[in-house]
Amino acid sequence: MASTATPLEPIFSFVVESLLALERAFYSLPGSGIIERYIRSSHQNDPGRTLLELILVVLVIRTLLQSRTRADRTGKSFIKFSDKEVDELVDEWVPEPLSLPLTSQEELELSSVPVVVGQSGPKPKLAATGKVAVSLSGLNFTGLAGNEHIKAKAIEALRKYGVGSCGPAGFYGTTDAHLALERDIADFLGTETAILYSQGFSTITSVIPAFCKRGDIIVADRGVSFPIQKAMQISRSIIRWYDHNDLQSLEEVLQGIEKERKKKRGPLTRRFIVTEGIFEKDGLMVDLPKLIELKLKYKYRLILDESYSFGIVGRTGRGLTELYNVPASKVDMLLGSVAIGLCAAGGFCAGTEFVTEHQRINGLGFVFSASMPPLLSVSGSEGINILRSSPSIFESLQENVRAARAILDRVDCITIPSHPASPMIHIQIRSPSVPTLHPSAAAHLSLKPSNPSFILPKDASNWDWDVETEEVLLHEVVEEALSQGVMIAKAQRLRGQEMVEVRPSIRLAMTSTLTKKETEKAVGIVKASLVKVLGKRRL
Amino acid sequence: MPTGSPLPSPMALKRSSPQHSMFKKRSSQSLSHMASAASYLSALSQADARARNSNGMSPTSTPALSLSSSVTSSSEDTVLNEDDELDNGDGLVIPTRPPTSEQVFTTVHSEFGHCANEEYRCVSQHTPGTIIPGHVEQDPPYYILLSTYISYLILICLGHFRDFFGKRFNPSAYRHLMAHDGYAPLNSDFDSFYTRRLKLRMDECFSQPITGVAGRTIQLLDRYSPDYNHTQILTGTRTRALNISSYNYLGFAQARGGCADVVEETIKRYGVTTCGTRLEGGTSELHTFSEALVAQFLGVEDALISSMGFATNSNYIPALVGKGCLIISDELNHASIRFGVRLSGASVRTFKHNDMASLESLLREVISQGQLKTHRPWKKILLIVEGLYSMEGTFVNLPAIMELKRKYKFYLFIDEAHSVGALGPHGRGVADYFNVDPRSIDILMGTFTKSFGAAGGYIAGNKALIDRLRLRGYSGAYAEAMTPPVLTQIIASMASIMGVNLPPPSTSSRHGSVGPADEIYQYPGPVPASSLPSWVTLPTALSSSEEGRDRLRRLTFNSRYFHSGLVKLGFITYGHPSSPVIPLLVFNPGKMNMFHRMMKDRKTPIIVVVVAYPATPLVTSRVRFCVSAAHTKEDIDCILRACDEVGDILDLKHGIPKSERWAIEDIVGRAVELANA
Repeated sequence: MASTATPLEPIFSFVVESLLALERAFYSLPGSGIIERYIRSSHQNDPGRTLLELILVVLVIRTLLQSRTRADRTGKSFIKFSDKEVDELVDEWVPEPLSLPLTSQEELELSSVPVVVGQSGPKPKLAATGKVAVSLSGLNFTGLAGNEHIKAKAIEALRKYGVGSCGPAGFYGTTDAHLALERDIADFLGTETAILYSQGFSTITSVIPAFCKRGDIIVADRGVSFPIQKAMQISRSIIRWYDHNDLQSLEEVLQGIEKERKKKRGPLTRRFIVTEGIFEKDGLMVDLPKLIELKLKYKYRLILDESYSFGIVGRTGRGLTELYNVPASKVDMLLGSVAIGLCAAGGFCAGTEFVTEHQRINGLGFVFSASMPPLLSVSGSEGINILRSSPSIFESLQENVRAARAILDRVDCITIPSHPASPMIHIQIRSPSVPTLHPSAAAHLSLKPSNPSFILPKDASNWDWDVETEEVLLHEVVEEALSQGVMIAKAQRLRGQEMVEVRPSIRLAMTSTLTKKETEKAVGIVKASLVKVLGKRRL
Repeated sequence: MPTGSPLPSPMALKRSSPQHSMFKKRSSQSLSHMASAASYLSALSQADARARNSNGMSPTSTPALSLSSSVTSSSEDTVLNEDDELDNGDGLVIPTRPPTSEQVFTTVHSEFGHCANEEYRCVSQHTPGTIIPGHVEQDPPYYILLSTYISYLILICLGHFRDFFGKRFNPSAYRHLMAHDGYAPLNSDFDSFYTRRLKLRMDECFSQPITGVAGRTIQLLDRYSPDYNHTQILTGTRTRALNISSYNYLGFAQARGGCADVVEETIKRYGVTTCGTRLEGGTSELHTFSEALVAQFLGVEDALISSMGFATNSNYIPALVGKGCLIISDELNHASIRFGVRLSGASVRTFKHNDMASLESLLREVISQGQLKTHRPWKKILLIVEGLYSMEGTFVNLPAIMELKRKYKFYLFIDEAHSVGALGPHGRGVADYFNVDPRSIDILMGTFTKSFGAAGGYIAGNKALIDRLRLRGYSGAYAEAMTPPVLTQIIASMASIMGVNLPPPSTSSRHGSVGPADEIYQYPGPVPASSLPSWVTLPTALSSSEEGRDRLRRLTFNSRYFHSGLVKLGFITYGHPSSPVIPLLVFNPGKMNMFHRMMKDRKTPIIVVVVAYPATPLVTSRVRFCVSAAHTKEDIDCILRACDEVGDILDLKHGIPKSERWAIEDIVGRAVELANA
């Protein structure tokens, strides 16, 4: 006995001592008396409660320690395997190849992408032929690309700031050049402030999720562009669709939502209308005054993507708000592209101080990305200066648009959905059987509206065009025009990834730098190519 | 550019040799008696004043200027034409130690520091067999943890208290958080709690506007706030500070020098835009050149370039995987990766940061279990990791991952946003550092913002994959192409690291190859001049890759010295000893603001980045340093001294025990020993 007691004794005394020390430490804490009294009295009144509280504490600790990745091991569908079985399964598993090799059609498409040597602009030199072509594909609506003033300013900025900004805007990536462009855009449009992003695509995919969260309602046009679709996917909001560029349909959808909300008596959520000024897909233009009226009536916030109208339409290029004479401050979030409208890079969102400040913390593409190279924002500022001071640019641009439409509207093998004033002109192949096939035109035929929960309009089953054959035909048209010295481009789509298949089209971008004569000649060649390729098909 | 432009010609650097000899002559005559830095400075300021008065800008009239840097042969220099910069007590603009007669520096000291000491160089390379440090979280004493938690507790309680009463008694100030006129609030008070209650208080640390180049030094536009940071007002004055915050690892943030000269030429030749997306006529020959060069630089078949770094991840990951695929992602991956993952529609699982055991057990689980519910095998499994984690400074354990890859057959995507250029003996990133064949990694992604002084990102891999991505990635069809000036900056900076061979080299040296005997991947040597646009001429210092090599080694020395310096001072830091990103843990949220301000208010102002919750876990608020090749050893000394003083005041030294710490003078004196340890 004695032999067993001796080795244990120091352990016992150690335990007793440390318990005592613990007790002393506990009582030396301020407020320990209160805790002690609470536990004592609670235990005295109801010993069961002590047990319950202990279990609670254990549960809390367990939940805190549980890792997220292990959580579904306990799920119903989890099957237990032995290590050997796992090894066998691992050996058996054969992954699919990471990427499939290109098909011959895709290879053709990739190899026929034109490469420009030297200055891009109205008359680029092509690497493939070594010849100068007239470009109707470059997004150089106001001819700012290659402008000597902009070049001089850019070089000045290069010698002041270097090229990269070397940091996100939050961490020493905001230069006075960025602040100046933000101020210039806000002044130009007449909004309180603006915020700059370093890429047009990411502007849209950042702004929408910054405001629209799970449970919020977005009412969107069925024809919105791909970046808007992706932005809405990221936002996880409830999405309702209205017919493409049909504001009557929009009003019906808004009424439907209001009715539903009253019935359910749900809480007030954020509600947004998302649409484009000039649609990237077909060049249609939204009726802005009517849209504003609806938004105010139903108390929605308006997110308007002016990527293809800012710097492109309006008397001095202020976009749709100038064209319709609506104050830009009525649009809650006005998005635009500095890359397209001002021929520099990036995009912006203009709005109230609160709207932009919110994005400086919540706009993912703003927070987690380096700000744009300062020399490009200086180019953007200079672009605005030029637009402000020379309204004649827009006169000649519109003149060219009218000249082009005068020629193209008379071609009977094509349809042009674009608005007559839109400098971006989409050309689709006219289907032989049905005279008008444009979705919005067909929508009026039936009385029952499309289901707002689905992006597909009700007449989608009537679409009789085949993407592949039309793509091939249009590709031929592009090649034919190029061989005649006019560079045009098929509107590129990610087939299978757009929420609704978009009808293939050729996208012409008019530019003010070409004279009316040059434009007419180039568009004449496009017309001849269309007739040659599509006329062949008819026979 | 107008003809009367005061800017130096793109060939300005070519004149360095006659200047050099001119200077040698002068140094023997008039400058030999200048023993002290003060006399040197007074001579400099006199020379500067003379230069200001005379309009004819011949280099001979400004001997001291050409001495401090051979590029400052023009009166329009961004640095020296500022009247307030003549006081050089802080050594930011002009080196405190004048160069010797042998030294010719082709950079502006304020952009890229002058450092000729060959001892202050290190090679960034993994020694095979040594352990790769995982992510070790060093815990501070309990009182620090406790006070941190209490700080947050007070912050949360007081914040909610203020919200509660503010909404009732001062509704106009809370208007944007409450429903009004039938509109729901644009921002919920819960979502914006930390923004309003924590970030607003330390807003002086964020979004500081600057001007000029974010190089070795940076010019802050001074500002103040009269109303507790609700508005910031610019005072109109400027402060030059030492910059250890910008992503400028190789110091290519320069407005002067060979790269900038080539970029100027590009703007003249190409303008600033290519008018459209890559697939719709926005492709320039510069895209072709730079994509080929990037592929060569990385040692893979092909590469594509995207105009924004964030969008490279968010727009191309969805083209790689989709429904029925699984993405395994490190828990600390960047927001852009998470964004892309969410867009892709693939399932996601995360593993503990850089923990290979956790990764392997996850791999075994997901492969054996298959897809959720259906238990069908996964179509593809894509592991996404970063080469160098931007908040922790850890390197990915690439050798271990390659081992796992062989066994578990997943595809590997490495985001080298921070590591490309910064790591490896050839600057080719983490694969170079660990000597792994880059072609065995399926997808290499990276950005040009951090090391190359440009913008945007790339994805590189085999040709079939890259061609597929060109067509299927979102950017090709919908996002603007990268602009010519940025492309040229990439071409010039990458070529200056690789070197340019003027005569066409033999084919064997051009292509990387795996030697059969040693199994070591050889990076391609100098690129042939034909892979650059014909009009691009780089000064010899760049085309010989001498300067590029110097930048790589300076960066590694600076990183290693600074990191071990901080450790020896007793700070808690995270990350790999060779990492140019060095987080210093401060824990208490209140100390972040103090640290930032005390560093900025010193005689030589130093600017730092502080990061707190929600970007980091709640307790581990930190200061993040980004070391650059542009820093001189004296700069690192200066920052270490500042950290030492501030660390004492703020009680930040909780790392190694007191007995093992070194005094600051020991650290500064034994820098080479520390860096090579």
